[in-house]
Amino acid sequence: MKFKCIINGCLSHTRAQAEELNGFISRFLDPEASDGTTIIFYSQKDERKALPGLVPTQRAELVRIDRYHPESILDALARIEYSDDADLYLFPSGFAGSEIAVRWAFRQKGSSLVQVKHIDCTRDRVIAKKTAYVDHVLATFRLDRRPFCLSPARGCVDRLPIRARDNLVVTEHDFTGLNKGIRAHDFHWIPVEHAKHFENPRFLIVGGRGLQNKENVQFLKNMADAVGAEFGISRAVALNAWGPMHRLIGVSGTIAKPEICIAAGVSGAAAFYAGIEKSKFIIAINTDPLARIIKSSDVVVIDDYKTVMAELLKFFTFDGANEA
Amino acid sequence: MRILVCFKAAPDVEMLIDEDWAVDKKLKIDTSFVKNTLNTYDESALEIALNLRDASEALGTNVELSTLTVDGGGATAILKTLYALRFTKAVRIEPQEDLRFRPAATAAIICQYVLHHSPQDAVLLGRQSDIGENAKTSLLVAEMLGWPCISQATHIELADENHLMVTHQVDDGHIRQRIRTPCVFSVGDAPCTSLRVPTLRDRMQYGKKAVDVLSVEDFQLPVETETLTGLEILRHARAGVIIEGKNPAEKARVLYEEHLKPMLSQK
Ligand SMILES: Cc1cc2nc3c(=O)[nH]c(=O)nc-3n(C[C@H](O)[C@H](O)[C@H](O)COP(=O)(O)OP(=O)(O)OC[C@H]3O[C@@H](n4cnc5c(N)ncnc54)[C@H](O)[C@@H]3O)c2cc1C
Ligand SMILES: Nc1ncnc2c1ncn2[C@@H]1O[C@H](COP(=O)(O)O)[C@@H](O)[C@H]1O
Repeated sequence: MKFKCIINGCLSHTRAQAEELNGFISRFLDPEASDGTTIIFYSQKDERKALPGLVPTQRAELVRIDRYHPESILDALARIEYSDDADLYLFPSGFAGSEIAVRWAFRQKGSSLVQVKHIDCTRDRVIAKKTAYVDHVLATFRLDRRPFCLSPARGCVDRLPIRARDNLVVTEHDFTGLNKGIRAHDFHWIPVEHAKHFENPRFLIVGGRGLQNKENVQFLKNMADAVGAEFGISRAVALNAWGPMHRLIGVSGTIAKPEICIAAGVSGAAAFYAGIEKSKFIIAINTDPLARIIKSSDVVVIDDYKTVMAELLKFFTFDGANEA
Repeated sequence: MRILVCFKAAPDVEMLIDEDWAVDKKLKIDTSFVKNTLNTYDESALEIALNLRDASEALGTNVELSTLTVDGGGATAILKTLYALRFTKAVRIEPQEDLRFRPAATAAIICQYVLHHSPQDAVLLGRQSDIGENAKTSLLVAEMLGWPCISQATHIELADENHLMVTHQVDDGHIRQRIRTPCVFSVGDAPCTSLRVPTLRDRMQYGKKAVDVLSVEDFQLPVETETLTGLEILRHARAGVIIEGKNPAEKARVLYEEHLKPMLSQK
């Protein structure tokens, strides 16, 4: 089967996208029966040099566009993919990937599925699994119409580093100036601060709506800093603007894989739990003995999170002072 | 400016307990005893639309809000609330089939409503529904209408009669740009957009208007390219050992000495 990986190199995380797709390919596609090409979109000339090192397939097409805009990527894809010979398009798990997968499938009269956790494919049909009922259920779908356009669920495969290829075949395209008609004006780019080891911290502390206000969220963040833990928040906290969206843990945010996770004042809704499920050890602190998080944690403290955390901090501080 | 907000009411599945989760032969899960709610994306979309109308009053432009749901009747209470919040029009389209996992069919109905029943300048939808979790309807509405699409919108302001200023989330930041209507907005995680509550007076005065109900027979549904073939319940049980202690300090000590300290000191 012929497959194409589509990578958005206009924003950062290009390597993460490439390694994620590499992991996906190696897990689900049969190398003997598949023939792959990677299409990378980029906008800055100086980014071009690094791109061949980010190609998980034997062939690459490097496409320069003005800037990230789903429309520019879709229009450029339509110009490159005129031959209609691809069976499968794979997009990364981020916002851009899942959006373009759906829109590209529509334009190609194919089928699409996003947030995919598992696939089993032949040239004529794909059987794919994804969650439904806010992460409580795994649904299986049969996709009947080629091309199949898929984007994986965040964190569903481990990233696989790209191995350098000597015989990589590279084609170049320049589609700058293509989308003059896009009706956008006054364009501003607002970057976010990146927590460096957010996905794989050793120790993660997450706060939920039980924290009740912005000051308490800051208290827990300070405590996390003091004990060397990363700090994350549930969606209830982010939507109340008690903490920044880029610290969101869960299906819509980061899927973390810490060794130890403390979940304080979170109820453990499935969409949140997916973000900490890969933790080796989960500790819940909650006032409600019936909260869902209780049964899905390793150990539990039924009490007010703030008092427990303040007491806990004393032990860390005491041991830290003794070691020093 | 005419703005249509589409929403889907769904049972709040967090209310189900472990024993309630069972799949029947028709691949359905009985949630009939749970109250229907708005999903947070749709709630945000509705509140963003109300904020646009509030702002229009100050700017002297006219914003007219309507709302649409493809729904068997479970959304009636929400539609009444939206009337009480002074939406001009509330429409329910009665489906004949199970559309949980048919985002293309839902999108086709919404698209035909805009093209043939009620022209609009902007259509707002949520990024993802609670039950189907398809994350496709809003994108397909934009594709079917042939309109530009802004996804993961988190903030929308009125710029003038035919432009909106929108902030939306992308993979490593936000973009803020001025967009010309018509446009489809797929609303993402938008902070501080809980839906306001209507006053009792507005409920009495406006909330009793009859909802327009249209039959799905007037709409053409596309053939689905993805078919649901199975549902399997996910369970996430761990030991759940409760740390005993007579006060928080003692519980914290046990937690630290028996669990955290040994694990953190391992290299
Ligand atoms: C498509 C979709 C995607 C979603 N994606 C995400 C996601 O990525 N991440 C996410 O987090 N959510 C996500 N959600 C939302 C999710 O379903 C829940 O609504 C959310 O996780 C609830 O957050 P919470 O646990 O902080 O709040 P709540 O559910 O309100 O829980 C608060 C908890 O705090 C406890 N508590 C209260 N006071 C105290 C105290 N003093 N001490 C200790 N405990 C206390 C309460 O007992 C309760 O259990 C998503 C939902 C949908 C539909
Ligand atoms: N039956 C429906 N009626 C109206 N709007 C819907 C319906 N289903 C989905 N939507 C809209 O499309 C969004 C995404 O849904 P989905 O593609 O199913 O995840 C929802 O948040 C709603 O705004």
